[in-house]
Amino acid sequence: MNSNVLLSERDMQFLLYDVHAVDELTAFDYFSDHDRETFEQFLSACKRFARERMWPSYKQMDKEVPSFGEDARSGQRAICVHPRMGELYSQLANLGVLAASRPYDVGGSQLPITVSTAAMTWLMAGNLSAAGFAFLTTGAAHLVEAFGDTWLRTHFMKPMYAGRFTGTMALTEPHAGSSLADIRTSATHDSGGRYRIRGSKIFISGGANNFSDNIVHLTLARIEDSPAGTRGVSLFAVPKLRPEGDQWVPNDVQASQLIEKIGWKGLPSVVLDYGSEDDCIGWLVGRPNDGLSHMFQMMNEARILVGANAVATASVGYQESLEYAKSRPQGRLIDTEKGSTGPQVPIAQHPDVRRMLLRQKCIVTGGLSLVLETAKYQDIAAHGSSLTVRERAQILADFMTPLAKTFPAEWGYEANTLAVQVHGGYGYSSEYVVEALLRDQKLNSIHEGTTGLQGLDLLGRKILRDRGHGLQLWLETILGDLALAQATESPELKEYAAVLRAFVSQVQVTLRNLSSRTSLSSMLSHSTDMLLALCSFAVGWQWLKIVTQAERAADGGLQGTKCPHIRGLRHCAQYWFATEIPVAVAQLTRVDVADSSFLDCSLDSL
Amino acid sequence: MKILVTAKRVVDPDSKIQIADTQTSIELDDVDFRVNYFCENAIEAALELQDEHDAEVVVCSIGNEDAIQTIRTGLAMGGDRGILVEAEDEVLDGDLVARTLAKLYEQEKPDIFLLGKQAIDGDSNQVGQLLAEYLSLPQACFASNIDIIEDGAVARVEREVDGGIETIDVDLPCIITADLRLNEPRYASLPGIMKAKRKKIEEFELDDLELDTTLKVVTRSMELPAGRQAGVMVSDVDELVNKLKSEAKVL
Repeated sequence: MNSNVLLSERDMQFLLYDVHAVDELTAFDYFSDHDRETFEQFLSACKRFARERMWPSYKQMDKEVPSFGEDARSGQRAICVHPRMGELYSQLANLGVLAASRPYDVGGSQLPITVSTAAMTWLMAGNLSAAGFAFLTTGAAHLVEAFGDTWLRTHFMKPMYAGRFTGTMALTEPHAGSSLADIRTSATHDSGGRYRIRGSKIFISGGANNFSDNIVHLTLARIEDSPAGTRGVSLFAVPKLRPEGDQWVPNDVQASQLIEKIGWKGLPSVVLDYGSEDDCIGWLVGRPNDGLSHMFQMMNEARILVGANAVATASVGYQESLEYAKSRPQGRLIDTEKGSTGPQVPIAQHPDVRRMLLRQKCIVTGGLSLVLETAKYQDIAAHGSSLTVRERAQILADFMTPLAKTFPAEWGYEANTLAVQVHGGYGYSSEYVVEALLRDQKLNSIHEGTTGLQGLDLLGRKILRDRGHGLQLWLETILGDLALAQATESPELKEYAAVLRAFVSQVQVTLRNLSSRTSLSSMLSHSTDMLLALCSFAVGWQWLKIVTQAERAADGGLQGTKCPHIRGLRHCAQYWFATEIPVAVAQLTRVDVADSSFLDCSLDSL
Repeated sequence: MKILVTAKRVVDPDSKIQIADTQTSIELDDVDFRVNYFCENAIEAALELQDEHDAEVVVCSIGNEDAIQTIRTGLAMGGDRGILVEAEDEVLDGDLVARTLAKLYEQEKPDIFLLGKQAIDGDSNQVGQLLAEYLSLPQACFASNIDIIEDGAVARVEREVDGGIETIDVDLPCIITADLRLNEPRYASLPGIMKAKRKKIEEFELDDLELDTTLKVVTRSMELPAGRQAGVMVSDVDELVNKLKSEAKVL
């Protein structure tokens, strides 16, 4: 496998420091030990680890998938992951990624989420399955940190942050995926905070491995006699080995089945059986019956990471197809005379291949910018200097999260198909890596809330139920950036700002029309269209911000318009406004027109 | 035990380099930098000795102000403190670098001076040897394994030589240069990076060291290697053998 730079470091730096001014965050107390140098050093270490250690194992881990075998440590039958996974995991832990953004008192480094998300983007680009073990563990440990007592923190959180235990999120059951109100796993009170757990979970990523000392499954279950539906769901820490005195003994939770799947092949997804011998103990985390709300407090972070992963996967495909297109000679230029037998040109010289390359770059860099901006609002929401600042940032972070998850997932999938397309027939062969990335990418529109659910969340919860408050605040923020752009001398910025301003007006009209509809189902029938239109518009906003900074950089003489990197960003913006925003306008019109064909068409007519 | 170890700042080989208009240097405006690979092996070796022999590890570099970052990387990996001698690349050659490092040796009196066997930019492979000569110290270059024996009096070093490994014993103090197979360098960790911010870095100007700064080597010009010629397809083995005989003249 060729080397691959994975991400454009230039673009990453320009976005972090110029467009999103991440060093501003160091003004907040929580981040005050950091400066640009600590960010750069950490990102550089993650970049190098991703390129030098993770990427070389990516393709092997895609081919040699986890299987049942003998665990060398216990001699028992267990799910064994790729032999290189254990070493990669301990190196990831040594880098300090597991608790990077967590407070010092739990062993963290108080890094802004914006920077840890950028770091994770490098690592996921290197090998998403290996990075998956890490971010799942961080998520599980964070839940125990937020809602667990001292005992739980000592026994489960600390070893997870230290890299000795791994963690999982165990929500889904065979009959209840997105519909968590319907879960059946049961918890019977045992003694103290201990419960006996019985039931079964499915699609548990990282649910088994043969390298960590223990696995802590953060599990949703129903305490007996709890109310039905979401109000009766509680959160438990259910370890593979449980502490009894000074011993760690087997806790009757087994990975009974490996799911065969199309991507993320290095990260096993399993069926977990709890309490088949009625000896599975779980510890209640947080308040009884508040499990879902506890879980969902972590959801923004998880969804932003899905967006980051989608950007990473799209970026690796882009870089792969870019190098291929520059080196693969095929055919001659259209302008060349017919019958010419001169040398063939690299396919990157052909207009349509060039289009596919630029489109991928637009998706990758625009998506990354959206992810980083959303993460920055999370940082401000958690650590901003005043309550007003924090509340405003929280509303913006909540509003933008479905966009920051969906844009990279949906457009990233398209970017990965373009990477395959650029490779032609070779792209369809498993010898080349781009097909694996395409398979990996598909998960991102499904896990942590499908695209359909993100649409309902955005339109139903965050726009209609909120009476448009979050949307208005978001649009005002954008209008502020548009005013800045229009105040510059740049004709291109003025034009982009005018396009976005017109779009804002159209959104407001659409919203008024929606509110006048009588039935909820007719309001929400085009929620995905609304989501996709706003995604594309949000990325247009990001391109406007990027060009505004590019102008400033040019004025400063540091990176003049001659610089190829800056020129590339400007061309991306031009492409997005010429090609993609008109599509978003049409998509938004669909919400207004509210065509009902798919609702009217009965199932037996399908 | 005290170990002095170098951390040269070099252009990251992932960057695409261009020759500057003067034709005598590389355009440095739009490239990334990193710690020289061989220096990283030297730093890792120093840190392993730090653990085993409770050694103090001092990371030094010669370069412009930005070379501080290179030293910080070494400190984030686990080095104890740093020394920067400020000088632009244009006023340095391998010989002057060796004499500058000799001054640092005299200041610090380390038991071991560890260097990368060469820098991946200039590829000169001279500094460790010159340094040993100027200091009249034993040298063990291209090390692939280092053991400290006889109560810290002797370093047993395996050296990579043509066709095999040579094992030599050198008395301390000594000069050791690291090869790639010496170890697998660790990455700077986030907690390590935070700690490194508080570690001391001493800074000197080259002029402070009272050295003769006349260069022995002056770069006259640089040019890029000629582009690779396109290959040809041969129809069978016979044609290949023929071409190897008559055109390539390698058989």
